[in-house]
Amino acid sequence: MAAENNGGPSNGAPSHGAPTGSGAPAAQDGPKNAPPAPANATAAPANTEKLTAAQLKAKAKAEKAARRAQVKDARAAAAVAPPAQEKGAAADGKGGKGKGRQDGQPQNKGGHLQAHRPSVSGRRPSSPMVEKDVRSGIPDCFSHIPMAKRIPTSQAHKDVHPAVLAVGQQMATFALNDSISRLKATLLAFRKVIESYETPKGNSLSRHFVPHVLNPQIEYLTECRPMCFAMGNAIRLLKGKVNKFDIDTAEDEAKEGLLEWIDFLINERITLAEYAIAQNAAQSINEGDTILTYGHHRLVEKTFLEAKRDGKSFDVTVIDDPFERNGQELAKTLRQAGIPVLYSPNLGGLRPKVAAASNAFLGGEAIFANGSLHAPSGTADVAMAAMNAGVKVIVLCETINFDRDRVSVDSLTYNEIDPERNTADCFRLLFDNTHDKYITGVITEFESGGGNSPAQAILALLRKQEDPLID
Amino acid sequence: MAPSQAAHVPTLDGLIKAFNSQPLEASIESLIFLLKRRQVKGDECAKATAHILRQVVAKSKWNDVDQLLSRVQSVGSRLARAAPLEPVIGNVVRRVLGLIRDEASEDRNADDLASEAASDIQSLTPSTHPAPRPAPVPVRPSPSLISTGLQVSKSMFNLLSVADPGDSPMTGASTPMSQAQPASVHALRSEVMDGIEEILDEINQADDQIAGFSEIQIHPGDYVLAYQPSKTVERFLVKAASKRRFTVIIASLAFPEGATEPPYATLRKKLNAAGVDTINLASNGLMAYIPRVNKVIFGAKAVYQNGGLLVDSGSCIAAQAAHEYLKPVIVLCPVYKFCPEDPSDEVSRGELGNPSSFVSYANGPAVDALDVENTVTDYIPPELVDVYLTNLGPQTRHHLASILADHYKTEDIGFSLQLGEP
Repeated sequence: MAAENNGGPSNGAPSHGAPTGSGAPAAQDGPKNAPPAPANATAAPANTEKLTAAQLKAKAKAEKAARRAQVKDARAAAAVAPPAQEKGAAADGKGGKGKGRQDGQPQNKGGHLQAHRPSVSGRRPSSPMVEKDVRSGIPDCFSHIPMAKRIPTSQAHKDVHPAVLAVGQQMATFALNDSISRLKATLLAFRKVIESYETPKGNSLSRHFVPHVLNPQIEYLTECRPMCFAMGNAIRLLKGKVNKFDIDTAEDEAKEGLLEWIDFLINERITLAEYAIAQNAAQSINEGDTILTYGHHRLVEKTFLEAKRDGKSFDVTVIDDPFERNGQELAKTLRQAGIPVLYSPNLGGLRPKVAAASNAFLGGEAIFANGSLHAPSGTADVAMAAMNAGVKVIVLCETINFDRDRVSVDSLTYNEIDPERNTADCFRLLFDNTHDKYITGVITEFESGGGNSPAQAILALLRKQEDPLID
Repeated sequence: MAPSQAAHVPTLDGLIKAFNSQPLEASIESLIFLLKRRQVKGDECAKATAHILRQVVAKSKWNDVDQLLSRVQSVGSRLARAAPLEPVIGNVVRRVLGLIRDEASEDRNADDLASEAASDIQSLTPSTHPAPRPAPVPVRPSPSLISTGLQVSKSMFNLLSVADPGDSPMTGASTPMSQAQPASVHALRSEVMDGIEEILDEINQADDQIAGFSEIQIHPGDYVLAYQPSKTVERFLVKAASKRRFTVIIASLAFPEGATEPPYATLRKKLNAAGVDTINLASNGLMAYIPRVNKVIFGAKAVYQNGGLLVDSGSCIAAQAAHEYLKPVIVLCPVYKFCPEDPSDEVSRGELGNPSSFVSYANGPAVDALDVENTVTDYIPPELVDVYLTNLGPQTRHHLASILADHYKTEDIGFSLQLGEP
């Protein structure tokens, strides 16, 4: 999915650059093509006159202010109007491919989501969210917790790269949901940002890129949905990498280096990691085991399929959350692979089901410095039930998801509110926090031979591992 | 099947009205049918059982206490077998049996002091449960009963005395009773029926009595997690809301299919009107919310003698999460839900329900190959429960035995097993 979407903006980027031509970096021109129809209408006559750069800038600022005001008014009046107009403008010709693509995406997402979340179907694509109302329904006691938010592409900061815009939209709509696919999409988008980056005169990449180009992208992504810990790690590493460049490094060389590094990161920490973890974890499945899992995690699925390929016969119990129903997909996939599956649509009867299992495999979004696991809501309950029943709880997690700076002891410190269920009528937190005493071991790509490390050993693991990446 | 099912769900009141007009056997059969279809469940089982037993006492033919007991036992065990996961039925039957025994022994004590000696001997015989009061004279099968082929109680208690039937003191106790039939039968019938009325009153008032303790349990500013609030819990919360400002977090296993308004709308309206905030959780996992919660409250379907609970599935998640964070788990359970039994394996495995609301069989083959288990009841082990809030006040699991001893007679504990397979 990520690759496909990044194809769009890459087409778009050159076409944005072309009309304005020389001088200014392409990324900064992006928003000029993006404003909604009314703003374009007022701007059209002004563009015909020749203006100096300074005047242009002032103009742009005024335009933006006007646009904001207009958008606000329009929203108050009629909610559906602006997107329709926007589309009309894009069709009129000016916008070009990249833009049309972005408008189309949310709708794709809507369709895609319908399959997964029947209960929430129509709501996502159509109604534009009104900023103030979005958080107003959140019960007071959970009001400190962040929530993903859909920002219309027209309201994004002007410096946001189209590729990043697309990724942001996908994250806000949860089309990119788990930490690794978000990380991968982000890195690929940053790749585009770096490719289209040109250092302005009198600046050096190592000094200019991060504050003026990268940070707005990050801000935008964070606004769309709070960053996952893997993204935080990758961005920290990326910034470290940029800062390491000598001030005199040639721009091409530096860009080349960054692109290579991103590819390396994707290969090592995502692609290979996934493979290695599945291999390691599959080895810890024994003939005749009953493995319990919760929801649907990519690594867990890979592991089961891997073990099946190795010729092992084992049963899987899939416990699901009826409010998400991801586990059904997993159950069907495994069933098709010929693995006997017991599917429990909810956490009812958890104790007897857990007690019948030999191992519990759980996927995680992140692991904190204190060894506690950040994973989809419900994981903690399953892990606790398993541990209490004397069943081994094994967590599968890439090391890029490990956060060595943060400590979390309860689920209300780092969490997210489900933007679909954010009122007192229906409230949901996306994650919960599993104490490390409920985790027997963590399988990462770093260990080999099927061994796994206790969750407490994570800090040591991180120290050992991260250093070679930075330089 | 699904659409027609909804149309035939009878209300409890309608059912009870029908009891009066129908012949006894028809009423029993219709209730058994509804129990088997799970159309009468939970608290309604208790009421329905009490009503039907009242009919049994009123309508069936019996000439002495033994016949009555045996009649109630046989109807009771049929009902209990129809709904093995509604232990409340058995409890009510036991209560009625105990009531009959009490009434009978009162009659007898009046004219036969010899039975005193007998009961002393009885209380010395080994039994698994301490007798709370002088054991009533166990009803002995009179020779006439055995010859008519009526089934006879065979509790452990009686087995021991049957061992030497020759000089059993009980024979003397039961003989005068069966001779003094006609007058006492009439009196006994009305006394037993009054007693059953009392049991019904107790069942009806239990929720209100439990609600009376709400002030003690809920404090201002509390965050109370109510798991699938039953009628009892609703009443408790509403009562508390009249005195306290707190927040209720309502969790459930799943939202009802196709409902237009958010679940528990009526309860939430009542609570909101009293100034109590409510939050509906759309989540199965509860660990995320527990740090915010002060106490967890839910209702039990039954309490076993070890203190374990039979509950709606999912409550166990709440109890487990609360236990982890040392938050009190308060279980609302009227005394009539206390069972003098240990949970069976069946209970701890849980009952399976209809999974079609969770899995769409419309997308056929993919789902067809799966084993889907939707468990609808949970067993909660006693160590996860802190307070058993009964209509007699809060209890701990260490004192459940005395409640059981107060309400049930030792010889009735295994009533449904005494009869063997019908």
